This record gives sequence, C-alpha cells and structure tokens, in this order.
Amino acid sequence: MSEKTPKKAKKDLLSWKETWIQCLRALKLFYHYRPNMLLIHTFYTIYTALTPFVNIFLSARIIEELSGDRDPQKLMLLVLLTLGLAALLSFIGALTRRQFKVEDQFLFCLERQIRADKMLRMDYCLVDDTKIHEQLDTLEQYCNGAGRSLRRVIWFYDMILSGIVSLFGGFSLSISLFTSRVPESAGRLTALNHPLFIVLMIGLLLAVTYLSPIFIVKADAVWSKGANSHNLGNRLFGFYGFLGHKNNVAGDVRMYRQEAFCEKYNTDKKGTFYSRGYYAMQARGAVGMYYVASTIFSVIFTGVVYLFVCSKAWAGAFGLGMVTQYISTISKLSGKVSSLFQVLGQARNHATFLKMNFDFLDIENTMIQGDLHLDKSSDKKYEIEFQDVSFRYPGSEQYALRHVNMKLRVGQRLAVVGQNGSGKTTFIKLLCRLYDPTEGVILLNGTDIRQYNYEEYLSIFSVVFQDFRLTDFTLGQNVAAKEEYDKTHVEDCLCKAGFDERLRELPLGMETYLTKNFSDEGVDMSGGEKQKIALARTLYKNAPFIILDEPTAALDPIAEAEIYSRFNEIIEDKTAIYISHRLSSCRFCDGILVFDKGAVVQQGSHDSLMQDSSGKYHELWFAQAQYYANN
Amino acid sequence: MRKETSKATAKKKEKPPKPKFNMWQNAWWMLKLSWAEKEKKVPILCILSAALAISGNLTNLFITPVILGTVEIHAPLRTLLLTILGFVGLNLLINGVSSYINANEMYGKITLRSAIINRLNTKACITSYPNLNKKDFQELLDKACDATRGNDRASEAIWYTMQRVLQNAAGFVIYLFLMSALPPILIVVVLITSLLNYFISKPLNNYSYKHKEELSKILNQLGYLLNTAKDHTMAKDIRLFGLRPWFQELQDKAIKAYLAYLMREQNVLIWSGIADLVLAFLRNGVAYAYLIGLVLNNGISISMFLLYFSAVGSFNGWVSGILNSLLTMHRQSVDISIIREVLEYSEPFRIKDGEPLRAEPEHPYEIRLDHVSFRYPEAEKDTLTDIDLTLHPGEKLAIVGLNGAGKTTLVKLLCGLLDPTQGRVLLDGRDIREYNRRDYYKLFSAVFQDFSLLAATIAANVAQSEEDIDMERVRECVAKASLTEKIESLPEGYETKLNREIHLDAVMLSGGETQRLMLARALYKNGPVVVLDEPTAALDPIAESDLYQKYSEMTTHRSSVYISHRLASTRFCDRIILISDGRIAEEGTHETLLQKGAAYAELFEVQSRYYREEEPANV
Repeated sequence: MSEKTPKKAKKDLLSWKETWIQCLRALKLFYHYRPNMLLIHTFYTIYTALTPFVNIFLSARIIEELSGDRDPQKLMLLVLLTLGLAALLSFIGALTRRQFKVEDQFLFCLERQIRADKMLRMDYCLVDDTKIHEQLDTLEQYCNGAGRSLRRVIWFYDMILSGIVSLFGGFSLSISLFTSRVPESAGRLTALNHPLFIVLMIGLLLAVTYLSPIFIVKADAVWSKGANSHNLGNRLFGFYGFLGHKNNVAGDVRMYRQEAFCEKYNTDKKGTFYSRGYYAMQARGAVGMYYVASTIFSVIFTGVVYLFVCSKAWAGAFGLGMVTQYISTISKLSGKVSSLFQVLGQARNHATFLKMNFDFLDIENTMIQGDLHLDKSSDKKYEIEFQDVSFRYPGSEQYALRHVNMKLRVGQRLAVVGQNGSGKTTFIKLLCRLYDPTEGVILLNGTDIRQYNYEEYLSIFSVVFQDFRLTDFTLGQNVAAKEEYDKTHVEDCLCKAGFDERLRELPLGMETYLTKNFSDEGVDMSGGEKQKIALARTLYKNAPFIILDEPTAALDPIAEAEIYSRFNEIIEDKTAIYISHRLSSCRFCDGILVFDKGAVVQQGSHDSLMQDSSGKYHELWFAQAQYYANN
Repeated sequence: MRKETSKATAKKKEKPPKPKFNMWQNAWWMLKLSWAEKEKKVPILCILSAALAISGNLTNLFITPVILGTVEIHAPLRTLLLTILGFVGLNLLINGVSSYINANEMYGKITLRSAIINRLNTKACITSYPNLNKKDFQELLDKACDATRGNDRASEAIWYTMQRVLQNAAGFVIYLFLMSALPPILIVVVLITSLLNYFISKPLNNYSYKHKEELSKILNQLGYLLNTAKDHTMAKDIRLFGLRPWFQELQDKAIKAYLAYLMREQNVLIWSGIADLVLAFLRNGVAYAYLIGLVLNNGISISMFLLYFSAVGSFNGWVSGILNSLLTMHRQSVDISIIREVLEYSEPFRIKDGEPLRAEPEHPYEIRLDHVSFRYPEAEKDTLTDIDLTLHPGEKLAIVGLNGAGKTTLVKLLCGLLDPTQGRVLLDGRDIREYNRRDYYKLFSAVFQDFSLLAATIAANVAQSEEDIDMERVRECVAKASLTEKIESLPEGYETKLNREIHLDAVMLSGGETQRLMLARALYKNGPVVVLDEPTAALDPIAESDLYQKYSEMTTHRSSVYISHRLASTRFCDRIILISDGRIAEEGTHETLLQKGAAYAELFEVQSRYYREEEPANV
C-alpha cells in the first residue's frame, strides 16, 4: 500500500504522573457508571491471587511429612485438608467468578455506552463537525483494532492488584528461606547464611522483574507506533474485503468488474497485518527478539532461585517439603511481579490513548442554553426574523451565508430555491438552531432565539431533511418518534403523507418493522416510501413550523403531483418552508427566497420574481421550464 | 447440491443442515489453502509450537522431581548444580524459541484468513446476480462472512485448534508411555474422571452455543442503539424529533436483557465448575492415597512421588484437552464447511466459461428483448410481461413510467444482471446466455442509481484501476461530465482521495458531483451501450439542463438507454417507451406520444403544468 499515513506525534510518552492521573480518571468514570463492577473485580482479583498459595503451602506439608515422620494418620489428615480446602476454595471461586464474568463481558458494551451517551448529549454543531467524528472514528479504531481501549484500564487494575497481593502472599511463604540457616556442619556453604544473599536475591528479583518487562513494553510500543497504519489497514480491509457483500451496489460492481480492484488490496501481503507487512517484519526482527529476551531473563531468574534454594537445602538448612514450597512460591511470584512491571509499562504506553478518550469526552457544549420559556398563550403566533445573519462553518474561512435578512410570519408558505451549494440547507440549520449564526441574530417574536430553552425552541420545528434518517423500529414508532403512540393519529398522518394505500397492503400495519434488522417480517421501503413516512413523522409532531427539504426527489410525477395538491391540507394553518429543485413547487408559496452563493439575492412572489428577466430566479426557472413548454 | 440445501432450509431452524464437508476434509482444505497461498509456514509453525509445548511440559514435569531427587540422595554438589544448569539451559532454549514463534505465528494465519475473505468477496462480486436474491445464498454468505470477522473466528482460529488437537494427542501418547510404570488403575481413574467431566460440561458449555441466536438478537438491538446514537448522519433527526429519551429507554432495556442473559449463562456454567472441583477432589484423592501408599509401603522416593503426582494432573489435562479441542474443531469445521459451500455455490450464469466476447466501442450492437417476461422468485405475478423490444445500434431510447412499473428490472434484463423467466435476450441475434456473462458486462457504460464509489483517488475511480491510468482520457471524460472545474480546484486534483471513512484526508463530493463523477467513469469505460438510470435526481436545475445539452454529445456512435422520472429529458431520445403494469404501454417519439394524448401525455401534463406561464390549475 503506497498510503502515506500522517505521522502524528502519538509516540510521545506521557509522564508517570500523567499516566496515573489518566488511569485514575478512567477508573472513576467506570465507577460512576457501574460502581458494583469495580467492587466485584477487586474481590475476585484478590481472592484468585491468594488461593494458589494455600495449595502450595499444604502440598509442601505433605511432602514434608512424607520425607519426615511418615505418620499415616497425620498424612491422611493433611491430604484431606488439602483436597477439602482446595474444593472449598474452588467453590467460593466459582461463585464469585459468575459475577466477575458477567461484568467482564459487559465492559465492552459499557465502554460503547459511554461514548454513545456523549454523542447523544453533544451540541449538533459539534456532532456535525468532521473533525469531531474523525476524532471519534480514530478513537474507536484504536479501541477495536489495536486494543487501545478505555476498558483496558480495568485489566491494568486487575493485574496490578493481583501482583501486589501475590507479593504479600509470596513473601509470607518464602521469608523463611532467608531466615532458616545452613548448619555449621556444612562447611563452606555456611556462607549462604550471609545477609548479603538476601540483598542479592531481592536485588536480582527486582532487576529481573524490572528488566524482563522492559522488553515487552518495548514490543508494546511498536504496536502503539504502528497503530496509525494499523487503523488505515483495518479500514481498507473493511472496505475492499467486503465490497461484494453490499447488495445495493451489486449491479455496479459487476458492470465495472470491481473484484479486480478488491483483489489487489486483499492479496497484498505487504498490508499492515499480513505476512510481509509492517508488524510481521517487526516481529521477525526486533519485536520477536524483545519477547525472547524477556523470556530469557525470567528463566535465568528461576534458575538462580533453584540454585540458591537447592544449595541451601543440600547444605541442610531445610527439608524437601520446604524446597517445593520455596520453588513453587518463587516461580509464582516472579511471574506475578514481572507482569506487574509489564502492566505498569503498558499503562504508560496506554495513557496517550486514554488521554485521547478524555479529550473526546471533555469536549464541551458551547451553545448558549437560555431558560426563557416559549409563550404558549400566544397560540402559535410566532414570527421569526433573521437580522443580518452571516455564518461560517467551524474551521472554514468561507462564509456559507452572508447578510441574510428575512421575516417569516406564522401561516406563510415560503419556498427556498437556489443552486447546489448556495446555502439553502445551511439557512434551515440556522433556523432550527442546529447552528448559531457567526454574525447577526435570529429573533423569535422579537427575542434572540438563544435566550429560549433549547428543547422548547426545537419543539416548534418539524423537518424532513434531504438526508433524513428513519430508525429500524416499527412504522408506527417511526412516525410517532416514541415507543407508545396514538394509533389513529399515526394513521391520519400516514394518510396525509400519501402512504395510506401502502399501509393497507402491510399485513402488520403500523407494527411493521422498517428493514429486516429486527424482524424477518420487516419491510425494506423504497426511497419514495421512506420520504412519505418522514413526511408523516413531521405531521405527527404537529409543530407550528414545517420544513421540507426536497421532499419529492424520490417520487414519480404522479406521486409528486399528489403531494403538491394536498399541500394545503397537509400544512393546515402551519408555517411551511419548502426547499426544492423542482421550481414548479414555488407556485404554491406566498414568498420565495432565492439563494446564490450564500446570499439572498431575490425575495418575493413567483410573479414578481419572474418580472426580473436578468435575475437568478428567472434563470433557474427557465433552465427547467424550457423542457416542459408546449411546442 | 441446490436441492439438498433447499430441503435443509425447508426443515426450518430446528436442526441445522448437516455440513457438506466433514472435519477431516476441512482440515485438509485448510492445509491445501496454506500451500496455494504460499503460507506453508502456518502449518509448520503449528507443528513446531505443538512440539515445543510438549517439550516444555515434559521439562517442567521433570525439573522439580529430578532436582529434589538429587538433594534427597545428597548427590555431590557439582551434580546438583550441573543438573540445575542443564534444566535451565533446556528451558532457555524451549521458552526462547517458543516466544519467538509466538510473536510471529499470527501473521501467516491472518494472511490466510484474508485469503479466504478475498475468495468470498470475489465470489460475491462475480456470482450470478440472481444468487444475491436467494435467501439461502445470502444466509450462507452472511455466516461465512461472520466466520471470517476476527482472529477468534473459525477461519483463523481453526489453526490453533488443530495445533491443540495435535499437541494433546501427542502429549497423551507420551504420558501413556510414561505412566506405564504405574498400575493401570491410576490411568483408568484419570480417564474416567476426565470423561465424566467432559460429558457433564459439554451440554453446559453448549448453552452459549445453543443460545447464540438469543444473544445475537439482544446484541443486535443494543449494538444498533449504540451505533445509531453515535451516527452523525442521524444526529439531526435525533435532536429535532427528541429521540434521545426513547433511545435511552430502549438502551436501558437492552442492557438489562443483556446482563440477564449473561447471568443465566453463568448460572449454567457454574455447574461445570462445580463438577470440575468434585472430580478433581476424587482424582487427586485417589492419586494421593495410591502414591502415598507407594512411598510408605514400596519405598519409592519423594521425587518419584512428586513426578507421578504431577504426571497424573498433566495426563488429565491431555485427555480433556483432546476432547475439548475436538469439540471446538468440530464446531469450527462447520463454519469452514459453510465457507466452502459459498465458494462452490452453483452459478446459473456462465461466469467462468461461455463464448468470449470483446466489447468493441465502434461495433454496432443490436440488443433485442424477444418476448421477455420476468417474475421475481416467490413473487405472485410477473414484473414484466411479454416485452418485445429492440435497441437498435446507435439508438437513444428513453424508458419512462411510475415508481414500481418495472423500469429498473427491464434495464437489469438488458444488462444481463437478470435472465428472463420467459423469452430471450439476444445480442446480434444470439442468446446472451451463450456468452461469458462477465464479458457481456463489458458492453455497458452504466450509471445506476446506487453506485459503488471506491476508496481510492478520483482518477482511479474514473479509470477503475490504479495502474496504467490514461490521464488524458480521464481529463477528457471528466470534462464531458462537467466536473473539471471542481476537481481542478482541489489541492490534489485528480489524485484527491475519496471516501472519508477510509482515507482521513479524503474529500467529500456532493451528491450531484458524485453523480457526475460516475458519468465520467461510464465515459471512460467507453462501452458501446450507455445506460443511465435517473442521472439527474441530485442535480440542480442548471446542472440538469447542462447534462441534457451534453447528452447527445456523450452518446455519439453509441446506443443508449435513459431512465428518468423527469420527462423533460426524454425529448433528446429517438424513441420513448412507457412501461405500465409490466408491459410496454406506449411507444414513440415525444411528439407522437403527446399527440396520442394517452398516459405519456398525461404524465407530461402533470409535470409541466406548473411551469407554464398561465395560472396553475386548481390546487
């Protein structure tokens, strides 16, 4: 892949302090969502870290007895105690494991829920910002593809806790290794009694447990560094590996024989994950060697422990039972301690990714949230005014709207026309306060709309956007936009939107799921049908302003004409704003706003605008009307 | 083969159809795959890993008892130290090599999984179009796809399973030999407890397998809600229709259901844990009793005691390892079998053989629909009935009709995406079924309503290739589609990447611009027949008018088929056919059809009435 990935400064390690802060924040966040989860993890981890030592201790006693007095009575007792206690501990372990497993499996969802929540609560202008959804996409790719997730902190927590608890357990079983003395009869080996050996052993333990993970951490860092190309690799693979599965484009894929294009990507062994890709090459070289080095250090350490323990035993400091106890304890301990250090190193590598998560979760809503209530007594007498409104999308230099002035009274029909990209949809977004103007103000009944309670303000608009979306739930729920709905009202709205005939054909009626996602009896609606459902949804909401952005694009001429002819009935006494490329629709409207390059260039009725033969409206109209003129 | 599968689906979900290939056939198939894809290292590393795992196990089995034995008999210190060093050396070798292999073995397996994905994708891209509408094909394809979704799915995980089968079987044999010194009673006890454990646990562990559908239903809904909440294209509707409380209510419900499911599953699985501990109690009890007896009565050494005691534990591990890995392999093999069924799914079209066809741009092709009827599978009536239509060389044909009249189906028949249920489609008088179907597709420069934009550069999207792009021609075609100004305004021009979900530095083209890009692509392909399905839906009036002006220039020397709701466009065509109720209802030029004053004239009237200067009719 000749892809050039932008090399971001992702490789910068955060400081230990920063790592600690990020991890703690993550733990707090999980605690906030599910306090029990952390408790269960804590208990289970401590429990499972301690129990193996019980078995080590008791098995050693059996060996001890066997190599000593060999009292059958006492042996039987010991065996029963060992087995009985093992069974009891496993039983309690099995009981707690249940909850632990449930929580552990749920973590994946929990993390997704945290992000979903954030998105639901974010201002639209932020959600719509490509930078922000790229931020989210990147985050999720790191999380899913490379394991750089928020929930990994819980795993760190478990490992660190388990390591510390094992240290205590291990030390209590091996402390006597240093205190029991080689008898004087052993000659030169009495040197093993020297306190220097204690220092030496502990020093070695620390050195090895510190060194061994260093290599793993280095290997881990390679993965972190590669994460960027890793993500791109994943995305390309997700696209080209499954293009043939997209049934809606299957015709196109065949006509242009795109399988060849896919094969080129899918069989490129130099792709990030493949046998000649970046990671594989690293694994063959440095990374592979890091793992080997790490293992070698661990093995050498165990070897030294064997040497020390066995020489002492050989010299007569303790019996065979203790030898098994020390060896088992220290091998267990060294494993635990080195994973403890490993995890610390990994946590530091990981902190950068935690920070990315928090950078996302910390994005603040910036829209002013007023608390003024809409005056309900005015009985839907609303008047909206744009005063010299200009607007730039965040991060853009160009104005999408310039100096827009207009007034809209309740009960009016307004058409908005203009070429693609002239600012029509942006105008609607400002009106519904999905964005706030960069300059100028929008007034509702004379008051700046930012001073109203946001949700109440939104409640006066009902919109079919050009790129509207329906959910996969039932038809009725989609129209009502909630779980329980008024059936007659839904039916009424569907009829008005011209969906009545189709509704009668559906065996499950309003209970029909849209798409087959949730039910095999679900129905995939055509583009035109979806448009009608979306229209019905706006009617159900019964808001004083109805806004329709290209509501008939997917409809055939007859269906289109039908909607036009019902327009008055549909709109009733509401205010309607209508965007369309089909200029014929303008004729129903009291006023027309003509947009060109972000500005309102003309304003007036169809007839008055047609007078100006050099105007934009005239140009647009004739571009279309010429083909319909009677010859 | 087809009959078998349809019979199986008829039996409904109660019993999944028996896989077409058995476990050993599938293992063989995977091996052959590794050879074909030049990834022989995968099976080799599997064998090596298994051998190393067994050696590691044996070293660990012997290390403590042997060293203990040396201490026990108080052998010379030198011997003790050498023994320890010997073991350490052995461990260094085994563990060192294992870690190196561990770090490396994954990539070959991923490569093989992606080779499977590639084969599935290619099959899905070229399989006869009607297969895509077959429920059983879709189900197989979905399942096959699911079996390739991650490292833990059958198409990759089966390598680990095969390794485990090998490792456990070899371990079992070696231990059987080792333990032959012991009385068979001990071996029998271990065998019995492991078998018991397996048969108790199997149905319990099966819980998750049996309730897979229940779980996937819950996760499907939860996943949908979580994804929808994050979906920025949904954000406007969520806010304006106040969907958040509803979504959160559903989310809470789904989470509750998920947690309840997980708890139910664990409540079943706990019995497997309990059986395990009871059997361990019994097995270890017998082993202790017997081995202690040996120490007390027969005078075997402590080190031998330790050796045998650990051997009993390991032996148990091998036996249950064999049973469990075979069970896993059986399950994964079912998935591999499904993958193979997809790859070998029968083709009603000739996609691999058939008469080759060269699409020559200048050749005057004539395509004729000879009394063609078409009915979708399981539909009650024909979508198209007895269509007799000839697309003459160089002719510009327009197809109009209401939504659902059958226009798109007609085009699909013409392009060879569907075969008629009755009648024939003839190319220069010869049934297209005789030709290689993928060659036949070369004839068409098509712009369909749904197009497949590639995550690649603009130039590559026009040329449909990343190599040997004729840039001169790309520019020419882009100019014809009126997109030059836009593309040249982009900093990277023709090298600009498309699809922002894949390439972060990509550019988003508007709907209208994309439609024009698809037009440029069709022109670049230079097929002798141009097919345009609603190419102006996303265009503003001026852009639409511009396209009409250029239409005849774009289609010189070629035949073309134009489908549209907008009757304005049909004026540029030599002939118009109006489809209604699956038949050709009217046929002629714009003028003759208007004069006729029937359906076409009515449609035109409806659409044009508001454009005329006189007052609109009653609204």
